[in-house]
Amino acid sequence: MKKLVGQVTEAERDEIQRLFERRNGLNELARILTADNAELYEKLVKDLGETGTKFQNWWDTMATKYNWESTLNGNWEINFDSCEIYLVDNTIN
Amino acid sequence: MYSIKENQTTWKSDVAKNITFIVTKDCQLACKYCYLVGKNEKERMSWEVAKAAIDYILDNEQDFKEASVVWDFIGGEPFLEIELIDKICDYIKLEMYRRNHHWFDSYRFSFSTNGINYHTDKVQDFIKKNREHLSIGITIDGTEKKHDLNRIWKGDGQEQGSYKDVVKNIPLWLEQFPNGGTKVTISSADIPYIKESVLHLFDLNIHEVNINCVFEDVWNEGDDVLFEEQLMQLADAIINNDLYKENVCSFFTEQMGKPMDCVLENGNWCGAGRMLSIDAAGNFYPCTRFAQYSLRDKKAWIVGNIHEGIDKNKLRPFLTLDRCTQSTQECIDCEVASGCAWCQGENYDAAETPTVYQRATAICKMHKARVRANNYYWNKLFRKLELEGKREEFEQNKKSVTPEIC
Amino acid sequence: MLQYLIIHLDDTSVSYCHYDNSKKEQNLISLDDLKAGILYAMKENLMIQMVYPDYQLPKEYEATIETIDHVKIKPISQSINANVVVIDSWSDLESLNADKEIAYVLRTDKASFFEWYSRLLPILEEVSRLNVVIKDIETFTDDDFAKYKTILGEIASKVKDCYENNHAVQLNLLTDRMMLDKMNNCNAGWESVTLAPDSRFYVCPAFYLADKYEDFGLGKAKYSIGDLKNGLDIKNPQLYRLDHAPLCRKCDAYQCRRCVWLNRKTTYEINTPSHEQCVVALIERNASRDLLASIRTLGTFLPDKEIKEIDYLDPFVVKEEY
Repeated sequence: MKKLVGQVTEAERDEIQRLFERRNGLNELARILTADNAELYEKLVKDLGETGTKFQNWWDTMATKYNWESTLNGNWEINFDSCEIYLVDNTIN
Repeated sequence: MYSIKENQTTWKSDVAKNITFIVTKDCQLACKYCYLVGKNEKERMSWEVAKAAIDYILDNEQDFKEASVVWDFIGGEPFLEIELIDKICDYIKLEMYRRNHHWFDSYRFSFSTNGINYHTDKVQDFIKKNREHLSIGITIDGTEKKHDLNRIWKGDGQEQGSYKDVVKNIPLWLEQFPNGGTKVTISSADIPYIKESVLHLFDLNIHEVNINCVFEDVWNEGDDVLFEEQLMQLADAIINNDLYKENVCSFFTEQMGKPMDCVLENGNWCGAGRMLSIDAAGNFYPCTRFAQYSLRDKKAWIVGNIHEGIDKNKLRPFLTLDRCTQSTQECIDCEVASGCAWCQGENYDAAETPTVYQRATAICKMHKARVRANNYYWNKLFRKLELEGKREEFEQNKKSVTPEIC
Repeated sequence: MLQYLIIHLDDTSVSYCHYDNSKKEQNLISLDDLKAGILYAMKENLMIQMVYPDYQLPKEYEATIETIDHVKIKPISQSINANVVVIDSWSDLESLNADKEIAYVLRTDKASFFEWYSRLLPILEEVSRLNVVIKDIETFTDDDFAKYKTILGEIASKVKDCYENNHAVQLNLLTDRMMLDKMNNCNAGWESVTLAPDSRFYVCPAFYLADKYEDFGLGKAKYSIGDLKNGLDIKNPQLYRLDHAPLCRKCDAYQCRRCVWLNRKTTYEINTPSHEQCVVALIERNASRDLLASIRTLGTFLPDKEIKEIDYLDPFVVKEEY
């Protein structure tokens, strides 16, 4: 079940979308980058950690700011086109 | 408690720079409508040329300020060069990251393929490796009959269609890219098969069918009438069978067929000049259609090369081109102008002088026929929805066609 | 609308514009073609500009030419009875015995202009009108633009002195823009065409003089637009018009030559100027603006003219606002 629970601004959407893209980019880069390339490898490892933290912070901050509805077995989704936030309930009935 | 669902139809195509590598001019097929008049097996891009192009582009970040980039690979058939493409993509990713280039946070690798090699290990390994950044379109023209009418294997013997070799890979492709759309090209001989072909593609679970008439002057007397009939039959089938709920066909677009203002609606249709293409020789073009292998009657419009860079003066005509300056008075005054497309490369190729400022109008009667059928489609659909009380629901959930970058 | 017919009398006729004429071998237009050209101009109501070579024309030619009102454009060596005299060297300029009835054209390359522009200053006191044509505008760099701006400022100071001494000298680079209310460009292919010794029409002499193998990138640089027998046949004629030049039609560097030959050479499109041509024209425009203000300190001068302050040097950067 999916329910519309809120909407973020375009600037807020841009921020999470950039982090989302960056995280995907780092993950795919990790598949081809080996420890031989020490300098870049270190940068990547650090970057993955930082990006993950920023990612989490965004959700925490927005959830607090907008006070979105939540459920025990649910999760939120963002639609990048519309900036809408949905609550997806994963409870199996 | 969060997750991201990336639900975007267009992925920033409006703000992305499109950079196209013409990795090969070879293809397994010899499609009859193919605009590439100079296909051959010899001109394959070397790694050195590809690397130099990437270095030039990334070195000159100040000249490529678009927020996003689509690294596009075409041919011929791009997947014939999957090993080179894999090497190029790895290098792009590494270099964008190493240089802290702003595109690392917003890029895609894009492919238009005939689908024949899609299932091979090399292509599949590449897809797995780059899954989150891929956009792949497989071209399938419709029913076997329609597809094989044009999309035939290369060779001197008896004509052999390619439908079976492509359709076998469609399920795998749709499993990996559930929103995958296909491009269908209509030429004069294809008109009788439009309806059944679009419906066939929907049956194959391809929910987005981007379809257009070729821009070249290939149309015969009466084609517009047949075309209109086909589109109206297609409209009836889509509406009567509720196919509009899950599918879109680009022939039917709500906002088209209206007069246009030369001040307020004067943008150029085509993105040539805002894109960049690179061929095996290391030459830069405003779009692939300006490379010599795409041109029938004109010389290639080269805007630079990997050694000397881009001559910005050669791009100025493209970047200042507007709709009305290149249009005939008939087009400017046209009552159904909106939605009438053009290809800058075809305009150039068909022009009386070497210019991009003369709009080819071979498509005129086909556009007008499309507008009539389009009007029929929307009037019929909206009436049905209103009678069923579902108009509002439809408006909220309607799917839109991914606009083509070109 | 067509207004002028330029008759390029000989292959070696003098260049009065950006293009070079490297032809050394004389090839005079046939007398019949000259007569036919004059007749064509009479019927089409065109004003004729005769472009002379560096030698005396046969008497029958001169006699034929005198059957119609016309402007004579001549090299300095043949300046008798000329309306426009073309000077191709700075030494010729220095030794010029100026005639106020004649308009002078100085053709120079950028380097010579930068080095010797001060030699222009005394000449300004002697002439009524001087057109300076910098032949290699397409080679201007950012440093050159800065240098050009400084030099025009220095020359403007001399022009102001001339005005203060009641000598209203005309120098195309600085005074044309002050006087103009709308575009006043070359307009080859729209308001003028050229008849060449091969009895064909060309957009301007440059399109005739191009080597038959010359190719700027999209095909032959040399192409004709008709002949005396069949008349004009200009393909895509609208592209020579100002209203079909997106960058130019809203620009107010009215004095810009808007050279279609340079356009073709640098951008491939006859209606699109290069960055260099635009910036040079806007530097001149801005220098004209400063000169206008400076002359006005001497008293009332062109009170109805205004040149607005702008913050760009290439209209390309503000094309979205067009």
